[in-house]
Amino acid sequence: MPSRPSIGRNQPESRRHRLPNPTNLLAVMAGGLVGSALRAGIGALWPATQGDFPVGSLVVNLSGSFLLGWYLVRRESAVTAPWSMPFWAFGLLGSFTTFSAFTMEVTRLLADGKGMAATGYIGASTVGGLIAALLGQRIATVIR
Amino acid sequence: MTLLVTMATGAVGAYCRYMVSGAIQARSRSGFPYGTLTVNLSGALLIGLVAGASDLESTLSLAAIGFLGGFTTYSTWMIETIRLGMPQLRLRAVVNLMATLILGIGLTVAGYSLTT
Repeated sequence: MPSRPSIGRNQPESRRHRLPNPTNLLAVMAGGLVGSALRAGIGALWPATQGDFPVGSLVVNLSGSFLLGWYLVRRESAVTAPWSMPFWAFGLLGSFTTFSAFTMEVTRLLADGKGMAATGYIGASTVGGLIAALLGQRIATVIR
Repeated sequence: MTLLVTMATGAVGAYCRYMVSGAIQARSRSGFPYGTLTVNLSGALLIGLVAGASDLESTLSLAAIGFLGGFTTYSTWMIETIRLGMPQLRLRAVVNLMATLILGIGLTVAGYSLTT
């Protein structure tokens, strides 16, 4: 049961929960629409049959982490529209990448008794994801 | 048809993630990314429940998976972990990485076992 935020009562400005404006919500949904379509497209390129190594999700999560790292650094030095962050970061890249498919594929690999593949997938996703995001930030810093 | 369902439910999932994680994050005094943690862990439990229930109608199952694809996020988890751990590595970064990972997989396995 979400409690109603007590706006303006003993709370500093940054801690108030304000309702997002309609433009931001539309931008998030539009980004979510495009991000989901792109993820489905990449999923079709590397279809994951039961028990296979989930290449599609790995490609999606690593490239999405790279792009978010890149975008967030670029945004600091560029003039962007108010809807840019909701569209690109929260909407498109937020839904392009997915945590639920990642844990589901790990579960499937474990259920199939493929512990080594599951471990490799977890390692590649987490270490690879962190490296990809750092690389995105670094490239955005260096190449302007 | 499949693509349309995935896109539409993914957009609704993104909307819900934005609202839920925003509302929770606004209450986090420490700045720890509880918002992303909440959407990812709840999404992990739900995908396990849905995937285990093979008797679900396929369109409903597709819609649920599409929604959860948009609701949960991987890139934000990575970026927030880096933010907690940079410029110097802090325990909170390790906690964010490992808690999401271990609890997330655990919840999916639990959900899957419950409905299979």
